[in-house]
Amino acid sequence: MLLKHTLVSLLPILALASVAFSQTPVVNLDKVDWSKQNAETLRHYRALVQIDTSSPPGNETKAVEYLKKVLEAEGIPTQVFAKDPARANLVARLKGNGSKRPVLIMAHTDVVGVQREKWPVDPFGAVMKDGYVWGRGTADDKDILAANLMTMLVLKRSGMKLDRDVIFVAESGEEADPLGVGINYLVEQHFDAINAEFALTEGGSGTINKNNKVTAIAIETTEKTPRRVRLVVNGTAGHGSVPRLDNALTHLSIAVGKVGTWETPMRLNDTTRTYFEKLSTISSPENAAHYKDLLDPKRSAAAQRYLAANEPEHYSMLRTSVVPTILKAGFRMNVIPSEAEATLDIRALPDEDIPKFFEEMTRVIGDAAVKIEPTGNTRPISPPSKLDSEMYRALENVSKRMYPGVTVLPTMLTGSTDMSQLRAKGVQSYGIGPATTPEDGMIYGAHSDVERLPETSLYKFTEFTFNAVAEVSVHK
Amino acid sequence: MKLFLILFLTIVVQGQALFTDAQKAELLQHYRALVQIDTTAGNETKAVEYLKKVIEAEGIATKTFSVDPARANLVARLKGNGSKRPLLLMAHTDVVRVQREKWPVDPFGAVMKDGYIWGRGSVDDKPILASELMVFLTLKRSGAMLDRDVIFFAESGEEGESEFGAEFMAREHFDEIEAEYCLTEGGSGTLTMGKVATISIQTTEKSPKGVRLIVNGTSGHASVPRVDNALVRLSSAVSKVGAWETPMRLNDTTRSYLEKLATISTPERAARYNGLLDPRKSAALQRYFAVNEPGIYSMLRTSISPTILKAGVVTNVIPSEAEATLDIRALPDENIAQFYEEMKRVIGDPAVKVEPTTFGARPLAPPSGLDNEMYKTLEAVSKRLYPGVTVLPSMSTGATDMAFLRAKGVQSYGIGPANNDEDRTNYGAHSDVERMAEGSLYRFADFTWNVVVQMAGRK
Repeated sequence: MLLKHTLVSLLPILALASVAFSQTPVVNLDKVDWSKQNAETLRHYRALVQIDTSSPPGNETKAVEYLKKVLEAEGIPTQVFAKDPARANLVARLKGNGSKRPVLIMAHTDVVGVQREKWPVDPFGAVMKDGYVWGRGTADDKDILAANLMTMLVLKRSGMKLDRDVIFVAESGEEADPLGVGINYLVEQHFDAINAEFALTEGGSGTINKNNKVTAIAIETTEKTPRRVRLVVNGTAGHGSVPRLDNALTHLSIAVGKVGTWETPMRLNDTTRTYFEKLSTISSPENAAHYKDLLDPKRSAAAQRYLAANEPEHYSMLRTSVVPTILKAGFRMNVIPSEAEATLDIRALPDEDIPKFFEEMTRVIGDAAVKIEPTGNTRPISPPSKLDSEMYRALENVSKRMYPGVTVLPTMLTGSTDMSQLRAKGVQSYGIGPATTPEDGMIYGAHSDVERLPETSLYKFTEFTFNAVAEVSVHK
Repeated sequence: MKLFLILFLTIVVQGQALFTDAQKAELLQHYRALVQIDTTAGNETKAVEYLKKVIEAEGIATKTFSVDPARANLVARLKGNGSKRPLLLMAHTDVVRVQREKWPVDPFGAVMKDGYIWGRGSVDDKPILASELMVFLTLKRSGAMLDRDVIFFAESGEEGESEFGAEFMAREHFDEIEAEYCLTEGGSGTLTMGKVATISIQTTEKSPKGVRLIVNGTSGHASVPRVDNALVRLSSAVSKVGAWETPMRLNDTTRSYLEKLATISTPERAARYNGLLDPRKSAALQRYFAVNEPGIYSMLRTSISPTILKAGVVTNVIPSEAEATLDIRALPDENIAQFYEEMKRVIGDPAVKVEPTTFGARPLAPPSGLDNEMYKTLEAVSKRLYPGVTVLPSMSTGATDMAFLRAKGVQSYGIGPANNDEDRTNYGAHSDVERMAEGSLYRFADFTWNVVVQMAGRK
């Protein structure tokens, strides 16, 4: 994913009772013996990691060919949609009786590039060592891809009757898609093939404590939307020995100083309110106090300041954030240039009224010489997915069944995912992910040069995905 | 030879002397030859070879000094009787680059058209070089007795690379150019209706004392705002120093400049120049100059112009460092260490590091005097040659190689040809239509000749 959620690092580590899975399931899943599936899960997972789908250039079609062969060998028909023949998307469908609308399980086939010399192992070797599988894509996103594939295969083999279609989507171009070969292409050109009531994909996570217990499951239900702008100022160019009142750099700096320290209004939504409530129940008393204080008008300002300094990720969940990331002006020390420019990375809350926000920003800057130029939108604004839907409840139930005592947290990602395109089309979408230790999440995670995943995390996550899909689709 | 002795007597008797047509023709020939030598940075030795040949043909010895053999400096000396300390005539041989496609004529053709000589260096600095050469040759031919040595110095690297020229010579070979007084580029004159209306003489200059401001902060993904964002802290610092009104401070030169400028300005303008020293009016007038005459505003104070901002590469990553460059031009008497301390106080953020740069570095040097023999001579010759002229001492806001000489105690004065407004504004130094009116060249050579004779000729 574009930004791996760092929730794991924020959650307190709680000791819990031992994991007890296979508690009474709502549907009869007794015929699935997971200990016998793991070898096949690992085989597909390693094979997918070994296919180099670094983007750019992508070459996702190589992974699509693998998936197509595996699915069709099982008698599951597939469809391939490609805007660029080298960057195909694959869709497969298990038919249900149509009494409910489909559920979509989506994962991306592309991975970010590698700097080979920095890797301790072959990044495309899927090397197994000390209980881990190493390689580019092991945590982003071939774990989800393999789990989704196994879910399709196991569901098909089980012969279980389905109330709804289960759609498998392997999408290209998630990591960077300036040409629109992946989700944008599917949503714009082939939405019929992927239209669903619910979607499950990357974006969530889970926390394993030092006693090897899963203590928290985070489910992404909404996300902020990137809205980049450039601030551009023009002034009189001239020799640096003659100061000018309309110096473009000075005007720009005043503007960036103002927007960079602008405290935009705090606003919680269902997801973030629930998140902080639940987070307080599993936090130290001091931390819990900060989260609770957020809603106390007398204490909120101090709590926000605390989070800004100490938990900036949480601070970002409270508001639309404005972050200057690029400054550019001038070329020679003794020449005042005619133009100065700043780039602001703005992450808007899901309900933000963007034109109004820009008007407010114009007022904060208060300088007609500063032009605000939006740089093009990469994602649509989309409403949060519900916390009381059948899918969310199923995710909660499965979490509690598999990990008794676990805390389930709905989260709003401050980064962005391909779910925004689905949500904008009305698909209730939920981000999930394997549970790992905080160390694995922070150091050995997505996009790192030591990307790896514990074998057991992969197996448990595959089971979790299957159970959640089965719970919302298997005919009762 | 006889002719020149007569000429000298004429000076003494009538108070002025002008070059003959034959001398003008010779001056023009040297001037055009020098413009035709392409001395864009790095080829000054080609001009030095020309000068060497011309000067030695006259029986004057020359010496060359170089850091880089392609970028030589030339020094020649006419001996005086030593009763006064030497006079240095300095000009630079290098010129700034050209963008050939933008030129209407061959920039190294010294093309003559409609009374102008066109080409790179025709204004900066080959009229001074050729005029000083001609004065030097004429002085030698006259056989006149001199009270002081007259030193001719053709320097390289003035256009931003003084380490090859003035800075090198002042450091390594100062005994070769040591003088009481120096005449070089830096001044100018205005022509109104064909008459010289003002002569401006540069007696001091501001000194480049630029800095970089550097801020480090936590880098990370831009979806997570950081209170220590380097760009925000840098911007706050730049906005403070960019709007900082440093204290106004006049010196003898700028005070005299504004007073004299007032005498030749419209009543409204004069009131503004005169009002600067009135505490009740000063603030409003300074604001007026900041908007309408920024060149004047810059003469009033040490100025700060932010010129470069640099931070970040990609939109979604907060970089760990942000950097701004400030072009600071210090008044000649500025205590620069104290100034930087004051600037840090204005910024008020210890995270902002202030690092002085060496770009265009020149020493801070005291202004040259307005009441010595040289300045009085420049004034007197101006008034003699151009009755009714106003002579303005000026402080340039830019920097020249005089800084190296003044720092060594040489009283240095910037002079230059008088031109009309259009030529000064549109056809000047560094432009793609650089040109000099033939008449301005001759007039300037006459001016220089009269000054040098009065300063060095035995009375």
